[in-house]
Amino acid sequence: MTPLRRDVLVTVLLVALAATVPFLTSTRYIVTQTTLFFIWAIVVTQWNLVLGVAGIFSLAQMALFAAGAYTTAMLGYYWGVPIALAMLAAAIVVVIVSVIIGLACLRLRGPYVALLTLAIAQMLYLLIVNDTDCFTTPPSGCMPLFGGVRGISRFGDLGFRALLGAKWYVAHYYLGLALLALAILVSIVIIRGPLGLAFQALRDNPGYAMSRGISRFKYQLWVFAVSAFFTGLAGGFYAAQFAVVGPTVFSLSQLLLLLSMMVVGGLGRIWGPVLGALLLMLADEGVRELGDWRDIGLGLTLMFFVVLLRRGLAGAAEDLWRRLRRGRALVVPGR
Amino acid sequence: MDVVIQIIASGLTLGAMYAVSTVGLSLVYGSLNMLNMAHGALLALGGYICFYTMTALGLPAVVGVLAAVVVCGLVGLLIYVCTAAPLLGSPQFETGVFIATIGFGAVVENVILRMFGPQPQPQSLQVPGDIVIGNVHIPNQNLLILAVALGLMVAMALLLKRSRLGRAIRATAQNREAAQLMGVRVGQIYAIVLALSGGLAAISGIMVSSLYSLLPNMGGDPMLKAFIICIVAGLGNVTGAVISAIALGLLEATAQYNLGVQYSFALLLFLVIVVLIWRPYGLFGRKQVVRL
Repeated sequence: MTPLRRDVLVTVLLVALAATVPFLTSTRYIVTQTTLFFIWAIVVTQWNLVLGVAGIFSLAQMALFAAGAYTTAMLGYYWGVPIALAMLAAAIVVVIVSVIIGLACLRLRGPYVALLTLAIAQMLYLLIVNDTDCFTTPPSGCMPLFGGVRGISRFGDLGFRALLGAKWYVAHYYLGLALLALAILVSIVIIRGPLGLAFQALRDNPGYAMSRGISRFKYQLWVFAVSAFFTGLAGGFYAAQFAVVGPTVFSLSQLLLLLSMMVVGGLGRIWGPVLGALLLMLADEGVRELGDWRDIGLGLTLMFFVVLLRRGLAGAAEDLWRRLRRGRALVVPGR
Repeated sequence: MDVVIQIIASGLTLGAMYAVSTVGLSLVYGSLNMLNMAHGALLALGGYICFYTMTALGLPAVVGVLAAVVVCGLVGLLIYVCTAAPLLGSPQFETGVFIATIGFGAVVENVILRMFGPQPQPQSLQVPGDIVIGNVHIPNQNLLILAVALGLMVAMALLLKRSRLGRAIRATAQNREAAQLMGVRVGQIYAIVLALSGGLAAISGIMVSSLYSLLPNMGGDPMLKAFIICIVAGLGNVTGAVISAIALGLLEATAQYNLGVQYSFALLLFLVIVVLIWRPYGLFGRKQVVRL
């Protein structure tokens, strides 16, 4: 079986497994938390394409996510666009934003890219939070263009509340699962396909790769565009799920959480980010009562994995598997 | 006229303050190629230690500043031992150390949060009184900040240009292997540079907190500004960093006066985005030729 088929098969099995969860439990909390896990898993699988596979040190993913959420909310709030349509429009807007950021980053090297993208995210955050001029004045009071500190709410929903009543969250669960499945499939196709090979070549021997006609420019823009689409969609879905979008999506602790998910799971691997997202969401659930200790634990985890387990859990598992099989088969290099 | 004096006075104070924290960052990047994301947490730590020694222990200001410098220097050393040292020589050193120091900074910041709480505290190191130029009152606090920053810059310049240690630091920054072959203990130099940068961060943190107030996450904005200054100057360029720091301080003061406080930082961030796109290696940086 080719690696591509194996990964697709694993995806199908995992999705089938996840689809049974709402039947096994009637606890609303578990279902909605799993939906949240789907959202973060989408973001990290796409971020992994940029950071892990292409090796571009972009921290803009949360800003793109926020752009998706804000575009959806604002389209719904100001123009009454149906949310499903607004999510799609938001995804396209986010792709455009991402390509612009990608163009700006093309000439820069490693840490400069990180700083530039961090500066963009911080600038958007400050512009939203510090804007106190009223754009419209609804009955509830003053409403800045981007909702200010309080954020935007009452922009409509996906329509499942009217359709299913109290059980609307189950529909959101399946929608999230479907989006995640698509996002994982896209990441598999990219990592196993020509784009992934191109990045591997550019990373392993840039001179040779470029002389063979592999254009860094073209592939970098592609990865920025593709990864932005699902990130924007996830942002729109987040807005629909929580019915409110506020500037907290820009917070550093959220960025820390998502970065830890990728690093714990294993950067650049297909299943690493998903595994990391699952583990950290579970761990987060466990330390919910501990408050401040949560971020201390996250920080320590991040350091531990970067310093001692560079390739993450997925990488460590792969190494172990390879060692076990060494007697039987040839060692196959690569991801 | 009064407005101009006012803007220059506060701009120079801001610039001097930024210069102190930027020089530390720039030094670390210049010698290790390491972006220290824990720098903001060190700023806050320095401010809080000075506050703690002066209020809870009731010791004089000099002891407070010294304690902050020593503790932050040691934490800087710890950053080297925990994050940079084990990653040295790994192919993805820059990315790895960036992520690891984000983690380190989060730990320090939340330890401060647990110990001192989330409410803002006033920094106890304050100099009363002011002097009057024209119709403008300039607080002595600002003058002290300016004087200390100038003194530190001169001391750093002397250290880098005149001392044996400074020569070793510059040699390591220019070419690690060559320095190593000449008998420079590179690991030691790295450790010293991070400790130095920690000490400078402490002083900068005390300055920042004396103008605003102490908060566990107070280091975030000054750190981002320091990075902006580093980028505008070209990462690792210490002289350029000082010039850019003063220039950006003046620019920020002007923007605060003309556009209002809430847009000045966004304007700075916009500026850095433009600079990065127009001159990716910084205004004072030299274009690097990458050999494949």
